[in-house]
Amino acid sequence: MKLPENHDCKCMNAVVFRDVSVGNNDVKILQNVNAVIPHAGCTAIVGPNGAGKTTLVLALLNETDYTGTIEFCSNRRPRIGYVPQHLAFDRGMPLTVLEFIAAFHQKLPLCFGIRKELKKRLHELLGETGCLHLENRPLGALSGGELQRVMLAGALSQEPELLILDEPASGIDFKGGEVCCELLERFRKTFGFTQLMVTHDLNTVMAHATHVICLNRTLIAEGEPHKVLSDKVLAKAFGPHVGCSCGKDHSNNG
Amino acid sequence: MADNAMLDLDKMLLEESAAGTDAAIVMPEQLPQGVETVTAAAENVISETPSLIENPVIAFLCDLLGQLPFETMDYEFMRLALLGLLIIAPMAAICGTQVVNFNMSFFSDAIGHSAFAGVATGLVLAISPDYTMPALALCVGLGIMAVKHRSGLSSDTVIGVMFSTVVAGGLAIVSRYPNAVSNAQMFLYGDILTISERDILLMMGLAVVFMLFQIFSFNKLICIELNPQLAKAHRIKVGVYQYFFAALLSLVVIFSVKAVGVLLVTAMLITPAAAARNLASSYGKMLWLSVIIGVFSAIAGLFLSAQDWMQTSTGATIVLCSCVIFAISLIFRKKKRA
Repeated sequence: MKLPENHDCKCMNAVVFRDVSVGNNDVKILQNVNAVIPHAGCTAIVGPNGAGKTTLVLALLNETDYTGTIEFCSNRRPRIGYVPQHLAFDRGMPLTVLEFIAAFHQKLPLCFGIRKELKKRLHELLGETGCLHLENRPLGALSGGELQRVMLAGALSQEPELLILDEPASGIDFKGGEVCCELLERFRKTFGFTQLMVTHDLNTVMAHATHVICLNRTLIAEGEPHKVLSDKVLAKAFGPHVGCSCGKDHSNNG
Repeated sequence: MADNAMLDLDKMLLEESAAGTDAAIVMPEQLPQGVETVTAAAENVISETPSLIENPVIAFLCDLLGQLPFETMDYEFMRLALLGLLIIAPMAAICGTQVVNFNMSFFSDAIGHSAFAGVATGLVLAISPDYTMPALALCVGLGIMAVKHRSGLSSDTVIGVMFSTVVAGGLAIVSRYPNAVSNAQMFLYGDILTISERDILLMMGLAVVFMLFQIFSFNKLICIELNPQLAKAHRIKVGVYQYFFAALLSLVVIFSVKAVGVLLVTAMLITPAAAARNLASSYGKMLWLSVIIGVFSAIAGLFLSAQDWMQTSTGATIVLCSCVIFAISLIFRKKKRA
């Protein structure tokens, strides 16, 4: 896949990956990925397990060494809100949900309390993501789905220009996952951020994504989901047994 | 065996204080603390002894502490010890909260053990251990962080290597210069009662820097230790804070060594925090509880150890006090999981 030479990052794309490779000479996790994340859209990175989806996100977050370039709109790193797939932390730590989000915003040490204005803002956000009732619960006592909602509230509280979600539906039950995506769509329209999500749930992609990057160690295809996710592409990415599950067959997209 | 060692140590300390190293307190009353020899006659002597404290701030604070209605506060070394504990205990408790929540107790243990090498280095280089100890601790703390960041080894492994390096270094120096032993040994058990005016001044300086750092970065440290990746994605300069924290933690540990000694320094940091963690429902509450428990244990330990019927080592008594509180906290442990 070749990018047009006069590709204008400023108005079209929030992020442009050019020849991004991760790994050493022996083991390549990602090889020469050229892809774009359109501005203000919902981009999904899909691919089988071990395809390097999360690695691409880590490269974007500058958390892993890579070769090639990652260009941002107007040449500066956007404000990022990040929801990791798993939050590895000490679950016995007596940190409440409200303290967790406030810690990212407040300069005044938390032991002196949380400022009123901040508390009000966080209440609104927690209400929107449906976890207001959790505000005084210790972070370690939350279930996977609850934790992910709290992290989403935390990421949104960053007022992100680019919201990155790693497997947003994995920790949430089906109904919860559905609600989560609708919620995100609403937020995206209100706040106008660019959304990037890593997923292997093709149904979510078909329903919500405006742009899809299909990966398996290297770029398989890129573009609008309905055009890109053909049986041929999916077979190439996931192996011969996955057809397009979008709309016709739900039984074999595991 | 251990008893003998303690007796030897006590003897050594007595000799030392009598010989008057560079410590400011050279007072005969240091010896018979609580023992029968402290009679009315002796007390007269004390009240007539002019204060050896030169710094007006410390003198003022000591006078203030002298107003406390405790007999033991008549002794200048007790006032200095209490002042020292009141400065170091809250810092140790705050650090303890972070050490417990960030799983860094092995780190603080390693720093504590560098005290020995620090003293040995000082004796060899003919520099006062007051300076070489913090300097070496700082090197070890920052060294551990640097190696951890660059090598990709687990922190346990890195700390283990650095730990043995400094202990081996200290032992090597001490075995080469056997005369250094007598001085180095007191750091194994610690002795807040021989704390010098210079120590207190250094502690005060540390306290100012420490509090400024904590006010500025308390919340950011929570974010970082919760999940460095998330913190980094949300624009927190993870490395800078980790290095600063490691540096200040090293200094707090090394000054706590003066109070309770190398063997017990980790306990002084983490026991109040662990007790607080059992009781607290939020991070803020845990911090305050930890400070209260830490300061209370320090004061209780100091006073108890000075009682006629106790006559125990101050450091050990302080740690025992916090251990008792920890045991009680286990009973009242909050049900964390809903």
